[in-house]
Amino acid sequence: MKIICLTGFPDRETKKKWGRIMRLTLFLMVGFLLTASASSYSQNTRLNIKLKNGTVTELMKYVEDNSEFVFLYKNEDLDLEKKVDVELENATIQQVLDAGFKGQNVGWDVYDRQIVIHKADRLLLPGQAAQQQRTVTGVVTDQSGLPLPGVTVVVTGTTTGTVTNADGNFSLALPDGAETLQFSFVGMKTQDLSINGRTTFTIVMEEETIGIEEVVAIGYGTQRRSDITGSVTKVTSKEIQEIPSNSVESILQGRAAGLQVITSSQEPGASSIVRIRGNSSLRASNSPLIVVDGFPLGDAGNLKQINPADIESVEILKDASSSAIYGSRGANGVIIVTTRKAKTGKTTISVMQQTTLSQFTSELNLWRDPVLMAQLNNESRRNGGFDPLYVGAVSPAGTYYPSVEELLNNEWPHNTRWDDIVFRELPISNNTTLKISSSNEKTSFNLSGNYFTDKGVYIEDDYSKLNYKLDVSHNIYENLKITFSNILTSGIRNSNGGLAYWRNPIWPVYDENGDYFLTSNNDFGHPVAITDNQLNKSKTLDVLSYIDIEYSILPNLVLTSRMNYKYGNSISDQYSPKKYTQTGTFNNGHGSINNWAGNVFVSETFVNYSKLFRNVHSLNAMAGYSYQTDKTRTSYLGAVDFVNEALRNENLATGNPESFQISNGLSQTELVSGYFRLNYSYNNKYLLTFTSRADGSSKFGENNKWAYFPSGAISWKVHEEDFIQQLNIFDELKLRASYGISGQQGISPYQTLSRYGTSKYFNNGNWVTSIGPGLEVGRTGQDGIEVLWGGIPNPDLKWETTAQLDLGLDFSVFNDRLNIIFDYYEKLTNDLLQERILPPSSGYDRMWVNNGSIENKGIELTINSGIIHSKDFQFNTSLIYYRNRNKVTSLGNVEESGLQTDPNTGMLFTPYGNSIEMFREFPNLLAVGQPVNVFYGYVTDGIVQTLEEGVGAGLEGDFALPGEFKYVDINNDGYVDDNDRTIIGNPNPDFMASLNLNVVYKKFDITAFFNGVFGNDVLNMKSFDQPSNQPLRWTPDNPTNDYPSLKGGRQTKFSDWWLEDGSFVRIQNLNLGYTTDIASNISGRLFLNASNLYTFTKFDGYDPEVGTNGRYGGGYPRIRRLTLGLNLTF
Amino acid sequence: MKNKVLNIILLMGIILFSACELNEEPYGFYSEDNFYKSAADAEAAITYAYDALTFLEYSRGVYILGDLSTDECFPKTDQAGDQQDINNWKVANFTTNRGLMNYFKYAYIAINRSNAVLENITQANFDENQKNIFMGEAYFLRAWNYFNLVKNFGLVPVHKSLVKTLDQTAAPMAENLDEIYNLIFSDCKKAIELLEINQRTGRADKVAAQSLAAKAYLHIASSKSANAPLYSDMGKDIEIMYDSAAYFADQVINNQSLYGFQDDLLDIFDVENPKGSEHIFLMSMDRSGTIEGDYSKISKLFIPYIAGGDIFLDNGDGTYTKSHDGWSVYQTKESFYEKFEGADKRGNLLLVDKVYDAQGNVISQYPGGLPYRFSRKYVDPLFEADKTSTKPFLIRFSDIALIYAEAVGPTAEAYEIVNFIRSRAGVGNLPPDLGLNSFRERVWEERGLELMYEGNRLYDLRRFNRVSELVEEASGLSDQETLFYPIPKVEIDLNQGL
Repeated sequence: MKIICLTGFPDRETKKKWGRIMRLTLFLMVGFLLTASASSYSQNTRLNIKLKNGTVTELMKYVEDNSEFVFLYKNEDLDLEKKVDVELENATIQQVLDAGFKGQNVGWDVYDRQIVIHKADRLLLPGQAAQQQRTVTGVVTDQSGLPLPGVTVVVTGTTTGTVTNADGNFSLALPDGAETLQFSFVGMKTQDLSINGRTTFTIVMEEETIGIEEVVAIGYGTQRRSDITGSVTKVTSKEIQEIPSNSVESILQGRAAGLQVITSSQEPGASSIVRIRGNSSLRASNSPLIVVDGFPLGDAGNLKQINPADIESVEILKDASSSAIYGSRGANGVIIVTTRKAKTGKTTISVMQQTTLSQFTSELNLWRDPVLMAQLNNESRRNGGFDPLYVGAVSPAGTYYPSVEELLNNEWPHNTRWDDIVFRELPISNNTTLKISSSNEKTSFNLSGNYFTDKGVYIEDDYSKLNYKLDVSHNIYENLKITFSNILTSGIRNSNGGLAYWRNPIWPVYDENGDYFLTSNNDFGHPVAITDNQLNKSKTLDVLSYIDIEYSILPNLVLTSRMNYKYGNSISDQYSPKKYTQTGTFNNGHGSINNWAGNVFVSETFVNYSKLFRNVHSLNAMAGYSYQTDKTRTSYLGAVDFVNEALRNENLATGNPESFQISNGLSQTELVSGYFRLNYSYNNKYLLTFTSRADGSSKFGENNKWAYFPSGAISWKVHEEDFIQQLNIFDELKLRASYGISGQQGISPYQTLSRYGTSKYFNNGNWVTSIGPGLEVGRTGQDGIEVLWGGIPNPDLKWETTAQLDLGLDFSVFNDRLNIIFDYYEKLTNDLLQERILPPSSGYDRMWVNNGSIENKGIELTINSGIIHSKDFQFNTSLIYYRNRNKVTSLGNVEESGLQTDPNTGMLFTPYGNSIEMFREFPNLLAVGQPVNVFYGYVTDGIVQTLEEGVGAGLEGDFALPGEFKYVDINNDGYVDDNDRTIIGNPNPDFMASLNLNVVYKKFDITAFFNGVFGNDVLNMKSFDQPSNQPLRWTPDNPTNDYPSLKGGRQTKFSDWWLEDGSFVRIQNLNLGYTTDIASNISGRLFLNASNLYTFTKFDGYDPEVGTNGRYGGGYPRIRRLTLGLNLTF
Repeated sequence: MKNKVLNIILLMGIILFSACELNEEPYGFYSEDNFYKSAADAEAAITYAYDALTFLEYSRGVYILGDLSTDECFPKTDQAGDQQDINNWKVANFTTNRGLMNYFKYAYIAINRSNAVLENITQANFDENQKNIFMGEAYFLRAWNYFNLVKNFGLVPVHKSLVKTLDQTAAPMAENLDEIYNLIFSDCKKAIELLEINQRTGRADKVAAQSLAAKAYLHIASSKSANAPLYSDMGKDIEIMYDSAAYFADQVINNQSLYGFQDDLLDIFDVENPKGSEHIFLMSMDRSGTIEGDYSKISKLFIPYIAGGDIFLDNGDGTYTKSHDGWSVYQTKESFYEKFEGADKRGNLLLVDKVYDAQGNVISQYPGGLPYRFSRKYVDPLFEADKTSTKPFLIRFSDIALIYAEAVGPTAEAYEIVNFIRSRAGVGNLPPDLGLNSFRERVWEERGLELMYEGNRLYDLRRFNRVSELVEEASGLSDQETLFYPIPKVEIDLNQGL
């Protein structure tokens, strides 16, 4: 029989995995009488055993198989084959052991469910032990039984300690009063073991991620999950590693309550929109700060530098107590990514191969019947007062359009399926990762390489990436460790998206001469011509590197000093040919090279001190200092009017020398910070956290360079109280409350300084440079044709501050079978960074100021349950519910912010985002008292059926004609005008929810992940512009109330007619896996993963997952990805 | 060894502690700290002030405010609401009209940039003669933009110095029109003193400053004669105003030889000849520019949409001029066309009713495929897609000549001027022996025909107080409503000086 070696945690509450309850049921079935409580299992468990002439082994196996007890022993201590007779009813474990080991020279300790058997002569009474100097020895192994060198063994509360040798052995002289030993190792759970008179120990170190007693990264340190006072969600790699993805953020979708990830773009290598607990800023950044292995990188959304397969865990810091340690950058929450490190003494090689097929989840909505298309187009043009096109004549632009009859009689030879030409049939992408890791007592290393390709659905639309990661750490001395980590990522993106797959099917691809068939010289939509002739390629190189020095001045005082460096470089090459593209045609060829280089340097030094006083006061303090500088350089070289296009952008000097376009820029910022955190707990019941950070930023006005961000949290582990333990209900019951302030500095530098603008002026026949007051700071108006002028300094500019209250409750019941985490939060952001309006007579439009406030309130609920947990069959579920209510509470001074007033309600508002050409209106608003981005427009009541009805409804002119939208005169003043607009929708979801179902049966496992967004409105700009719904138009013969008539040149007002319910539930992921040991030293896993398998929605367009402003403009269907993966570990 | 490592760590911390300054060094930006040092700086500064005129919010405003609001034209039906409102004289919406606000704003942007030149280059160390030219141009530009403001908005806030801080954005409203006009005349006079006669496209010279003075004096004289509100309160004598207008116009006509009439109508509007003798002050744009404003899309606004193809215009002499099609924005009213006598080339040549293909076949005509008769004053045969060199004619010699005629009344010289302009257009002479008022009336009518679509019509209507009478859409409105656009609401709300 194999030796079972397990260890317990005698000084802690008991920790179990979900699912044991199933075994409890089984005990009952085999006749065990059971009155178990979580913390006194051994005392309360009663066993019925009848064993005649069995062996000790059989007895132990019987007990293990039919209870939760496990035995820990050494073969040489026990006579395993010794025959025993045991017949007991309703016996305690002590009685069973007494009977079972009678006559053997052993003693035993029972630590909850663990029974440690040892030689009898080692059993000393605690009183005797304390009085003499002893030496203890032991061996430390990992879970597979391999010895673990380099494990730190310390007598808790002292400086006495040692590390295990190459064989995992240690020997340590105990000082007086030594009670417990602490075993710690990177990547493993730290264990405290009561000495309790023993002199030999066999310890099995467990990986950190297993079980609830996990360690959570909290910024500048880690904390035991159970000691967390704030609101932190941890996502482990297990949940996400088999989903092929370019960046970490997209696979976090739905994985944490309070986290919203939107992937509206499906382009290869596309980034995501990431929000934690709502939008809290209007004009500055809303993206959380992303921190990789302690390196604050910047806004989340496109962390392409990290291979998801290298990730150990991702922590999401949501409340102020957690995020305030990042001060001026914490207001949007923080995402901490921790990468994998080498763990075991053995060299491990693993290969992960994923091959992904992409396909559309739904049919394309295209004209397949040119006759119908031509008929409807003619109808539309006639209704709009234009000459119809499909009349068998040359149009004024010089293109022959066949008549409807020609098409009907099949006299027209072309019916091109452009989608077949534009889209790849079945793009195959690849993701290969190779990892090698090893460690010994002094040095560990981890090397990982990844080759990732993402083939877009469009032809020649590709992304590929190579990524290497190397971590080396070395213990120079027992108490001095240096870690070096370097990540290099090189990417190539060939962009060929947005091709006109909707191109008119009556046009052929090529004309009779074999040239591209163009309808006119201004036909810029020929997808094949663009693909063949346009250049749009970019290359990126990113380096993330850090050196970390960890010096244990004392066993409980650790100084960490680290230097982080990030370098990023991108070069984009573009050429728009003279023909086929608008830019190229307008400029007689346009070529450019765009360079970008970014550098981030962060230096941090911090100390961690932890101590347990008098066994009840646990103190952990951290203080540190950091300096960060960001520097970005850009340059752009452009040329137009090329003599010969053969070189495209390879020799820009061959463009017209008078029209060279050159620009360059540099922006540099500095951030200096000091931070401090104190964690205190009393008797492991009452926990207190205080955090503060002072930040100084160069971005802010000279009068407001520094800011201070304090936060605090308290927590009560109610389950540790005797009166709760006596209830025998709660395995965990913890209350949390936190409050604090964090900041936001996400604006461009130099906004507080006087800056002049520059321009070109055509001076008497030559271009000259002109300079003076007034700098272009933005654009507005239809298509952004109006310039906004700034450059006037504001020495008072400062941070946005977010104050956040969080109330949380964690509880587990039914032996941890059911685990619930609940949070309620309120976030109020003040001093919003905004641009105020200046009087036009000043010669300026805008100036940055702090003005306005916004509120987010929400509920987060996570319910984890392990319904079945047996050796061969496990069934776990995880349900996440997240609801956020966002409200703009102030937009500042009415005049300075340029607020408009709703004539009916008095609501103050200002347009937000761009206008939409088809409406010539700004559909989204920032409105006081409303969520960000609400839709504002007209209300409709079907379609006007008769002129009388139209006039009666208050419509004028063309708007009153039959077949028009029947806009409602909501203020009942007799006519429909601008004053009849109101709030008509909200693109923010009512709530989001996700459900993860995981079944493991022997070597097979299935995970189904559902993600849903509910109650959001989507502006569907394609509501009437699609082949599927155009035939449903109003006509005198089809007096529908659902669609208007077809009418070219209609002046369409933005109304609720264009809004649809954007709710959806997506089977976002389905994963089938098979894990097995191929050979004794090779473990393998084969899996099939489907992303975006199916979406349930009433939305009429391709997919309702759109940006935060809720606008849907078409695009193509959601892509389903089917991945076949194989992981091998040697 | 161990201590060494520890020392390095400590040292690192100390170095980094001292690395923080938090001061920003702006990179790539000019400011008052590093500018206005040399003649080249001054040249860059004055061209920045001219550049403000070219932004489409201001350059298109020439037509939106000056022509669209009049009896010349109306916008296409789906043109932006702001322009519909201006055309329809929806005065209730004028305080928030973006077209008006942008025009107002850019006048001040140009004024602020002119003030920057006036304030800063006096201290710079370079040739005084060179400096005088720049100063003269800055005075001209300030006067030009205040004249744009006063003829559109009446009483406006007055900024005479550069705005550098938030406090300085406050400016008081002018007490009366005299205050603004006095500033304009004072600036014009300084400009006339400082400038030379030198035709440079996109730059103003002495003749431009004289022309501006003539325009401003005539505006007061005729407005006060027509008993226009605010003007009737001015402490200026009508006759002195007419005399002053005549004086400065006479300087332009008789005291220089660089500028004069061009003999051929189409030549005046030849985009390739910006140095034609008619062009005293032209807005400078060129198709080789990279953003709109540097290049022009003005032709697009006048020419109808003809399905994206090239079109050809008959020059009346068997030749054709190529053009792109347009956006059908400014659509000529048939009633305006009817003001032209049948033989008037300005009606039958400059307003186009037929377009051709390259072979000379008619593709489209009015009435029929062409929705309206369109102006060909802005056509660039060398257009590069949407980019053209068409530009507003800000001061044209014929304009100043007609100002002279109107100001002096029916003298022989005045008759000669008007009759030249008429004969150039192919129509006969004015009846001789007209009285002063009827002569001025006929000159005024001539201006309407000659300066069609040059951003003048509204101001001619206003100074004769005839907006409500002649613009159908404005009928029934009060003098105050038709003679001045209101100050934009955003200005009233935010200018702490008001």
